[in-house]
Amino acid sequence: MKEYDDATLVQRSLEGDRAAFSELIVRYQRPVYNAALRLLHDAEEAKDVAQTTFLNVFEHLADYDPNYKFYSWIYRIAVNESLNTLGKRRPLEELDGEEVDGAPGPDRQAESDQTRTVIEDALMKITPELRSVVVLRHVMHLSYEDMAQTLALPEKTVKSRLYSARQLLRTMLAQDGEI
Amino acid sequence: MDEPSYLALIHAEIDSELNDHQRADLSRLLLADPAIRALRDEMHRLNRTLNAIPQADPPAELRANIIAALPQIPARAQRVNWASSRWRYAAMLAGVLLTGSIVFRLVNFGQEPATSEMAGTLAPAHSASTSTLDVIQLPQGPVSGQVSLVGDGSHAALEMLLAASAPVDVVIETEGHTARVNGLGPRGSHGAGPTRIDLPGSATEGRPVHLTFLMGGQEVSRAVLQGSKSP
Repeated sequence: MKEYDDATLVQRSLEGDRAAFSELIVRYQRPVYNAALRLLHDAEEAKDVAQTTFLNVFEHLADYDPNYKFYSWIYRIAVNESLNTLGKRRPLEELDGEEVDGAPGPDRQAESDQTRTVIEDALMKITPELRSVVVLRHVMHLSYEDMAQTLALPEKTVKSRLYSARQLLRTMLAQDGEI
Repeated sequence: MDEPSYLALIHAEIDSELNDHQRADLSRLLLADPAIRALRDEMHRLNRTLNAIPQADPPAELRANIIAALPQIPARAQRVNWASSRWRYAAMLAGVLLTGSIVFRLVNFGQEPATSEMAGTLAPAHSASTSTLDVIQLPQGPVSGQVSLVGDGSHAALEMLLAASAPVDVVIETEGHTARVNGLGPRGSHGAGPTRIDLPGSATEGRPVHLTFLMGGQEVSRAVLQGSKSP
């Protein structure tokens, strides 16, 4: 398929072109899945969230406002779905610190397992709200403006959360000798 | 300057969000205070550590699962183009043929027709000018059988004769069109005859036709057929 921008693919999807929507999935399945994976620390739940996110996007495609960036909209749905999933967990499950099951790609084996585990554990020890901004910034590499749009929060609040999250992570990782 | 202010400058520097004025302020502070320099170095190390969080590959079946779970059209779609209508009619026709074969076999229970006779019920014989452009045999697995790409220069179609232990859904993608045919080929149950699906346009231009076979919403096999190139 020719390389179309998001707005064109959305419009074609609304006209019933399923290949256009398939292209949107190809384009965004990786960031959506990774955002969910880092927020949930569970590969199976991340897969479910990614699938639900795209189904919700398809279902509500007519509600999308093209004045906003499409990826902000889809990431917002993904983050909200992840937070909903976290909210359904029993409290102890969130803190059990178990390894992510099935998530790593082949290159992850080469990485320092200990460093990765320490970072992932530290991420799971901060609140989901703070974790969201860390994931959007450091996994999705969004700007302050895009993060604010994604989370439907003032930019000032996003910055405040990001700074707080980093301070907490700095303390935790410094204690573990990782930074 | 109080701590939150210089911290904010350091965070903004990490995120490449400093303006010139703020950058000058931070430079002044860094020159004046070794403690702030040390803190800034530590924040940069944290930034590098967080940016190195690995990206995982999404599950291979994720896209196919999403496509398989999509409803027919998005909510409140404004209009449906001609091509997708045609695909829907093709899928509906396949469903009608499938239902017809079930009724036929139920009515003729105990008088099993020959395979060729069954095939004739579902897929009329080709016209004299129709030729087979490509044929694939699916390997033994959850779904097996044969898929043919046939055409007569102006029309193209798929003929599928599948065997499987459970109903198979097939997602067909070609030239930006996508269609899905549900409930094909359970072995030993009804509706196991060949199914013909008309494709949009001609199949004589070397275009690929991608098939994804799903059982219970999970991808179980893939195949690609290719029409012959025009001379």
